[in-house]
Amino acid sequence: MTEQQLMALLPFMVLAAASIVIILLIAFRQGHTVIQVTGFLLMCLVIFAMWYVRGVLPQTIAPLLIVDGFGALFTGLIVFCVLVVGLFSYIYFEEREENPREYYILIFLSTLGAAILTISRHFMSFFIGLELLSISLYALIAYLRTRNNAIEAGIKYLVLAALTSAFLLFGMALIYMETGSMDFAVIAQRLNAAGKSSALFLTGFGVMMVAVGFKLALVPFHLWAADVYQGAPSPVASFIATVSKVGVFAVFLRFCQELHLQNNSAVMMLISAVAILSMISGNILALRQQNLKRLLAYSSIAHFGYLLVAFLPGNNTGVEAAVFYLTAYAITILAAFGIIILLSPGEKDADSLSMYRGLFWDKPFMAIVLTVALLSLAGIPLTAGFIGKFYVLTAGVEQRAWLPVIVLVITSVIGLYYYLRIISTIFADSPVTIQKERSLNQFFYTASYAALVVLTLLLFGIGVMPAVIIQGIKQFLVIDR
Amino acid sequence: MILIWMIIILLAGGILCWLLSKSNSPAIKWIALLAVLIDLVLLLNIWLQHGQGLTANTGNWMIQYQSAWIPSFGISFHVAMDGLSLILVMLTFFLGTLAVLCSWKEIEKRAGFYYFNLLWTLAGITGVFVALDLFLFYFFWEVMLVPMYLLILIWGDKNRRYAAYKFFIFTQAGGLLMLISILALYFIHGAQSGTYTYDYLSLLGTRIDPSVAKWIMMGFMIAFVIKLPMVPFHNWLPDAHSEAPTAGSLILAGLLLKTGAYGIIRFVLPLFQQYAADIAWWAMLFGVIGVIYGAMMAFAQTDLKRLIAYTSVSHMGFVLTGIFAFREIAMQGVIMQIITHGISTGALFVLAGMIKERLHTRDISQMGGLWSYMPAMGGAAMLFTMASLGLPALGNFIAEFLILLGTFQANPTFTVLASTGLVFSALYSLRLMQKVFLGPPNAPHKVNDISGREFIILAALSISIVLLGLFPQAVLDVAGKVISNKLYVIR
Amino acid sequence: MGTAQILFWSLTALALISAIMVLVSKNPVYSVLWLIVVFFAISGHYILLNAQFLAIVNLIVYAGAIMVLFLFVIMLMNLNTETEPQKSIWMKFFGVVAGGLLLSFFISFVISSADLKGKSAQLKEGEIGLIKTLGKALFNDYVIPFEIASILFLSAMVGAVVIGKKD
Repeated sequence: MTEQQLMALLPFMVLAAASIVIILLIAFRQGHTVIQVTGFLLMCLVIFAMWYVRGVLPQTIAPLLIVDGFGALFTGLIVFCVLVVGLFSYIYFEEREENPREYYILIFLSTLGAAILTISRHFMSFFIGLELLSISLYALIAYLRTRNNAIEAGIKYLVLAALTSAFLLFGMALIYMETGSMDFAVIAQRLNAAGKSSALFLTGFGVMMVAVGFKLALVPFHLWAADVYQGAPSPVASFIATVSKVGVFAVFLRFCQELHLQNNSAVMMLISAVAILSMISGNILALRQQNLKRLLAYSSIAHFGYLLVAFLPGNNTGVEAAVFYLTAYAITILAAFGIIILLSPGEKDADSLSMYRGLFWDKPFMAIVLTVALLSLAGIPLTAGFIGKFYVLTAGVEQRAWLPVIVLVITSVIGLYYYLRIISTIFADSPVTIQKERSLNQFFYTASYAALVVLTLLLFGIGVMPAVIIQGIKQFLVIDR
Repeated sequence: MILIWMIIILLAGGILCWLLSKSNSPAIKWIALLAVLIDLVLLLNIWLQHGQGLTANTGNWMIQYQSAWIPSFGISFHVAMDGLSLILVMLTFFLGTLAVLCSWKEIEKRAGFYYFNLLWTLAGITGVFVALDLFLFYFFWEVMLVPMYLLILIWGDKNRRYAAYKFFIFTQAGGLLMLISILALYFIHGAQSGTYTYDYLSLLGTRIDPSVAKWIMMGFMIAFVIKLPMVPFHNWLPDAHSEAPTAGSLILAGLLLKTGAYGIIRFVLPLFQQYAADIAWWAMLFGVIGVIYGAMMAFAQTDLKRLIAYTSVSHMGFVLTGIFAFREIAMQGVIMQIITHGISTGALFVLAGMIKERLHTRDISQMGGLWSYMPAMGGAAMLFTMASLGLPALGNFIAEFLILLGTFQANPTFTVLASTGLVFSALYSLRLMQKVFLGPPNAPHKVNDISGREFIILAALSISIVLLGLFPQAVLDVAGKVISNKLYVIR
Repeated sequence: MGTAQILFWSLTALALISAIMVLVSKNPVYSVLWLIVVFFAISGHYILLNAQFLAIVNLIVYAGAIMVLFLFVIMLMNLNTETEPQKSIWMKFFGVVAGGLLLSFFISFVISSADLKGKSAQLKEGEIGLIKTLGKALFNDYVIPFEIASILFLSAMVGAVVIGKKD
């Protein structure tokens, strides 16, 4: 391994070191505040490290990893999400009895798993990254053990994730059996040499799709989503919604790009079927939800269906659209969860819709942030979500994938209904005041508010001036191959 | 640049109102009024500058402004104004001023946020009327939705949630179909010319495969006829109109419906000339159905605002028929109808709002004999119902007459049928007057006649409808350059 | 037929028979015991393929540790024939169909693939399964995943501590 390769891995090593630092801090009995601040600074350090090593990219660390623009982009997105989630976590856990300190170790380990996924080019790193991500998540989901739903959600995720990991391994084994390699590039070569796609490869891919579909909560592997979102602590739910999905999507995207699966009609059929099913079921299941967290879970199912529509074309527009959409989605969902976290009273989460009745007249700032986030999820102009949806539609229409595009349009109109339902609740009369003593830590309240302001400004900024972000994404994707 | 300033003034005024909402000071109203009035003055200035030289001017566009927005997609911030836009933006600011005025007393709670939404809706509508980039057009098309939705949702009547949902979802459904069509057009044009752009003027020359063109056009048409509304898609309108606050109804009837008509004239006809001619018969048929159906439904209503809402359906049926007659004279009628309907129906909604403020009901059966209490309001109501039924010397007569004249050359049968709509309109108008203002007094208590502020509103509306009836040529001159363009008149 | 051949076939027969016994045993404890026999047979196959490391790991981890856990769970839950939940006939039917399809798929693949024919055992052939080779590969080429795997265990450990600790 050369010095340059080590350099390229620097951000990931800092990320791994972060969790060790937190362990040491706990060993020396430091308080929550110290750990929180250190964690925040360490994440900033990761971002700094990424900026620092930008010159040596792209670097292939044979045979497992490749640190290129694509990976850096997704890692950056992941670390950004973790920064925000970490910031929100302080307030959330400070109000609860449980000791929150180990939480940060698990969060950073899980982040490392997601980050490894973004740079893997080999089944082995794919699998290890995925496991690292999920094993930390088991504990994170069940973190608040005393709550009823937490253990249920944790076990549910554990059993299903373990099962799908087995599927993933089986799929990898089948593809290995066919091609004799676990390296994405070599698999692509062998498949090209073979000329036609074999049944074995298709089976392998289909079986792998189970695991990927599970992690991205795509229909028909979405059954865990609502329960886990509801049962997990809100910061963890936002972590699952952003970091975990971004990481898995990144590796899936890289795999499909590398293998040129877009030219394989059977695979494309499979993916568009999953996309259509996800869009339809996600939106329809969300219609009658009274629980905001469950609703966001179902809406995320639908959103990853939209994302797959962008994924279908497989050309540059598609990749850009997918990256852009993920960025917009991550910011939006973080803003929405940020509000849930800030409004959550001590004993349980503010997830029942009735708690948001008349929020606008009580806490206008939070209501506006939530409204903007929901409008962005619904894809209304002036918000990032609109440009994202527009980008996805552009990619779909360019490729003439008419059926998914039409389904996207129809289902997003259905989806409007439930977003509007929340918005109309927020603006309804007779405010219910959420009792919440807010004197716990003024500094972190201010910081969380500031984070929300930044997220909202980003939503508007990307919605009005998307050119900057699009240029950025394009420049990153050029550092590639 | 002046066009952008007009939009920015509205947006900034809205934000300022909102920021002041904590203090709940009367300054909010004045800021809102001032913002719209400044725009109105700016626009009058443009009219005075360019209005005269219009006929001599060879280019269609009085003012144009273009700057890059999202260059990687070929999206630019392209706004421009021709005669058609000028008239519609004028109508926007005129009705916008009145909307602020008629909310003066009605909206007491949460006034800051109310005027924010009002001004932003107006900004969105202005944007729709001046945007020449298809993406920008869609952008503004959606921007005007959300504040309007909030206006209905928060300040509406009892059934406001349902009405607000319905309004939003209907329009959004159409809008997304339009978005797909815009994208398809974008790629077809890009594939042909090599430059990917959303610019209207560039897209005009696109040659499209007939089988595809039909579908793309339908995407646009559905969005526009939902807004217009054409009969099978009119479902959202009575609810939204009747539940919205007075200013909301005024803007909905006076302006939002016009964006549909504007869209057809500005986009569907020039972009898809041939194919638009192919569906002309159907469009006219639905227009005529709308005329008759709207009038009949209006006759059957007992809710005052619903009744007026259905008259809108009927009047917009004329617009649809007129547009697809493809005759210059019908098109002139359509322009007139757009303006006069905005004014007369807007005025009726304002009157309904005033009555509701006094009697706290919209039910016609609980009204009656109001003339004896409020002769001045009764007089105004008489004027506008007469305008609505198409009495000569008032604006609507000119409009409907021109449309029928033009349509007769294209399809006499439909013209005859549409004319029966006029008879129905006489029926519902007279019934309205009879039930509300004439007959035995039915009011529970004595009500006051109009105040000074209300007098100003009604006077402005009355004067304009009479002027339009007597001197329609002024409007036709401004719009003339546009509508005599061969793009809109086939054969 | 050489020794390797005889060994291969007898191990195969043992594996298949005990696998079937796992399925048909009424008593779950017997099933587990039969499963251990399956693992032994499979380990025998690994040795035939010159993969000693895999064989040993398979014995230690699966036949040893995991089976003990299995037995513990079964005994703690006191499962036996009476308490076994009745599966509906449809469940069994679909299970058989799905499993049968997968089996026939693999059989057809093996039959169609030419270079697998006649290769029942590779005694002393190749070095890929030897501990030495494995160690070299693990600490040279695959050092990063090895390190990541250690972090993986760290996260599992922290998770277990968090969930399991007493307050």
